[in-house]
Amino acid sequence: MSRLLAVTVLVTAAAATAGAQDAENPFTDGPDRRMGETSFRVHCTLCHGYDAQGGAETNGPDLTTGRFRRTSTLAGLFDVIRNGVPGTAMLGINPDVSDRVVWQIITYLDSLTPNLADADLRGDAVAGRALFAGKGNCAACHMVDGDGGRLGPDLSRVGERRDPDELRADLLDPSAEVEPRWWTMTVMRADGSVVEGLRMNEDTFTLRLIDADEQLWAFSKGRLRSFDRVRTSSMPAAGGTLTDAEVDDLIAYLFSLRKES
Amino acid sequence: MKRLAMVVALAACAQVASGQEPASGTAPSFSPVTWERLLDAAEEPHNWLMYSGTFSSQRFSRLDQINAGNVGDLKLKWAYQIPVIDRAETTPLVVDGVMFVTEAPSNLTAIDAATGGVYWRYEHELPDDLRICCGRNNRGVAVLGNTLFMSTLDAHLVAIDARSGNLLWNTEVAEYSQGYSKTAAPLIVKDKVVTGIAGGEFGIRGFLDSYNAESGAREWRTYTIPGPDHPDNRSWSGESWRTGGSPTWITGSYDPELDLVYWGTGNPGPDYNGEMRLGDNLYSDSVLALDGDTGEMSWYFQFTPHDVHDWDAIQIPILADIEFDGQPRKAMLWANRNAFFYVLDRATGEFLLGEPYARQTWAERIDDQGRPVRLPDTFPTEDGTVVSPSVLGGTNWWSPAFSPRTGLFYVNAFDGEADYFVREDDYEAGFRFIGGGQQQVEAIDNYVNAIRAIDPATAERRWEFRITPQSRAGVLATAGDVVFSGGIDGYFFALDAETGEELWHMQLGRLVQAAPITYAVNGEQQVTVAAGNVVYTFGLD
Ligand code: HEC
Ligand code: HEC
Repeated sequence: MSRLLAVTVLVTAAAATAGAQDAENPFTDGPDRRMGETSFRVHCTLCHGYDAQGGAETNGPDLTTGRFRRTSTLAGLFDVIRNGVPGTAMLGINPDVSDRVVWQIITYLDSLTPNLADADLRGDAVAGRALFAGKGNCAACHMVDGDGGRLGPDLSRVGERRDPDELRADLLDPSAEVEPRWWTMTVMRADGSVVEGLRMNEDTFTLRLIDADEQLWAFSKGRLRSFDRVRTSSMPAAGGTLTDAEVDDLIAYLFSLRKES
Repeated sequence: MKRLAMVVALAACAQVASGQEPASGTAPSFSPVTWERLLDAAEEPHNWLMYSGTFSSQRFSRLDQINAGNVGDLKLKWAYQIPVIDRAETTPLVVDGVMFVTEAPSNLTAIDAATGGVYWRYEHELPDDLRICCGRNNRGVAVLGNTLFMSTLDAHLVAIDARSGNLLWNTEVAEYSQGYSKTAAPLIVKDKVVTGIAGGEFGIRGFLDSYNAESGAREWRTYTIPGPDHPDNRSWSGESWRTGGSPTWITGSYDPELDLVYWGTGNPGPDYNGEMRLGDNLYSDSVLALDGDTGEMSWYFQFTPHDVHDWDAIQIPILADIEFDGQPRKAMLWANRNAFFYVLDRATGEFLLGEPYARQTWAERIDDQGRPVRLPDTFPTEDGTVVSPSVLGGTNWWSPAFSPRTGLFYVNAFDGEADYFVREDDYEAGFRFIGGGQQQVEAIDNYVNAIRAIDPATAERRWEFRITPQSRAGVLATAGDVVFSGGIDGYFFALDAETGEELWHMQLGRLVQAAPITYAVNGEQQVTVAAGNVVYTFGLD
């Protein structure tokens, strides 16, 4: 019991220190970024992958999405790196490492996520917004702030995780890289009838889908005649129906979709 | 019922040592585990007396009450929640109705194997600046007499009284601040506690130790990297041997007839930068055969000379007497992290066979001497080199199993790949020293993971059972011709040992990253496995 208490006290104390940290990163120069990258490779790569995109060894999450599950503030991020996430493989950084290094790592991580200020945007976000709901038919599949369909990722904050070049690739060549969550599954039941839908989740014994009518389905694999994965995207490539200028407008709109917008 | 009556009748005698099992309340629950009991552990299948079941590490139980015919009726008996939230990698021991479960970070609890009720808990005090690679893991304990032996994350070995949970002694094995830690269950060899070390990502110099079980005093230490007075030291360029890793972070096996201890060694350090340590880097990624009394090396076999992909040879040596090329052989079976399955003669270390059992793109083949013939352009580079297996390996520390009934070797195999990078690194004591890194190429759902049944005489795959998306669980085989394992999807399942057909499964809610065990209480066979933060026990009605 006393140990548990001690742990609680420690965690509170640690949180207090982090809270006391000025929520402004004092080390954001170019050399800081480079030092941060080096320090990341020393302390973090093993679990989070060489370029911070996630690692196999302990399932350290992708740190380049511009968004963290455990924190939404700079002070919180500092605290996670300094003190870890209790009950997970994520331990605090070596205590001999200075706060400066932690800030430099944050600067490095920051450089991996798209930055609105640096972006070279040709399009018009207001026009893009109209295209999204109108001619582009994007809202049929995608939600933004609670409006739209369920057959593609929620794009309310897509500007935090995709930079303009990536967005262009998403639009023009949707099948280039499709996350398993968005594969299509074709399922044939014992009676020969077929259900097709997006792969919400699959494990060793079961399968859950959402079909084109946005109905949810659950299957036991053992009772199916067959099930197949289609790893291409169900999203139509924008190049066929939209002009280059319209694609630019959509990119400008999508890139503006962030928490603060 | 009949069995119960017999057990009660016998309870008055000193039946426990002879392999009979008392019913709850008819006799005391724990009795001392002598060296003789450990030698004959297979004869008392109602207990699970060491990490891998028996000294041969086959993870095969003679119990057959639960079998391929009735395993479909398996029901949850009880669940025990570990109070410290983390991901359990524990393989419990069971001694005459008492189960010993290790918990994160370095705690140990004794519970009643019939009900899950707690007897006692030992909480190891830890410093708050630990240096550990991959999480706050502890994988299990060893038992001798009345004493349990446990590794701790601060690189200590502790002896705990099995009846009270009291600390008997606490020995520092190495200085944790220099990057050493301990996670594996020790192995008892006669009156000694043989135990390894972790820290291959921190530039340690690995070793295997033996401690006096009574006093905790060290009796021998064998470095897994020979010193400059030994010719094999020249397999390291310059002074690189001093920080060459080669840890011993999983439990080994023992052959009482040959009096040899077998132990796997981990990756050379820094993991990905081979330029910093030219040469074969002996005895990293090897199996060592050591004299049980002195730790003197009888032979070694290196699976991956000059490893640059973090493919530790940290697998459990399975000792099995099999027919090979028409000859009976005292064999050692080994599915390595480098994706090749090996058969060695365990008396001499002679290489008998080496064939891939999981996807690999780094070696053309294994030559007659057991040395891999590498393919070009497979080393890590600054821009990355994609190679199979991934850093998780063809398999990893996940315990395999062997059934003498089917003659098959069962392993959790992964056909992954990774993008491997190299970079400069400077050694600084207590800091990570890996010289590069790796990145997943695609989401794990894109790769195949399966329990594979391998015929050890030919390396032929008899069957596979696919797991989605992946597994890091150990395997158990029983005389009921059932193979148990699980996955990160939270399923625990039973397969037909002959065919791989699925017989039963149960969703446990979080990843199974431990190895199942089986034993009996009150004459009833039970199966126990940890998932997430919980220890689950199953039985028939
Ligand atoms: C031993 C493996 C390991 C190491 C080393 C490690 N991490 Fe983590 N990290 C994890 C795991 C696992 C998680 C997920 C924890 C959870 O469940 O939230 C995590 C979570 C995080 C998070 C929170 C992510 C989120 O979405 O909230 C951040 C930020 C982070 N790590 C940064 C770092 C940095 C920076 C370093 C190096 C200083 C580092 N980590 C080193 C394993 C590790
Ligand atoms: C038929 C349904 C559908 C339509 C219509 C559709 N999408 Fe998609 N979209 C998807 C799916 C499914 C994915 C995820 C698979 C992938 O990466 O292609 C996706 C992915 C994306 C992504 C990447 C999101 C991320 O989180 O990485 C963007 C951006 C995107 N769509 C934008 C658009 C725009 C803009 C339009 C209209 C021009 C559009 N989509 C029309 C289904 C659709």
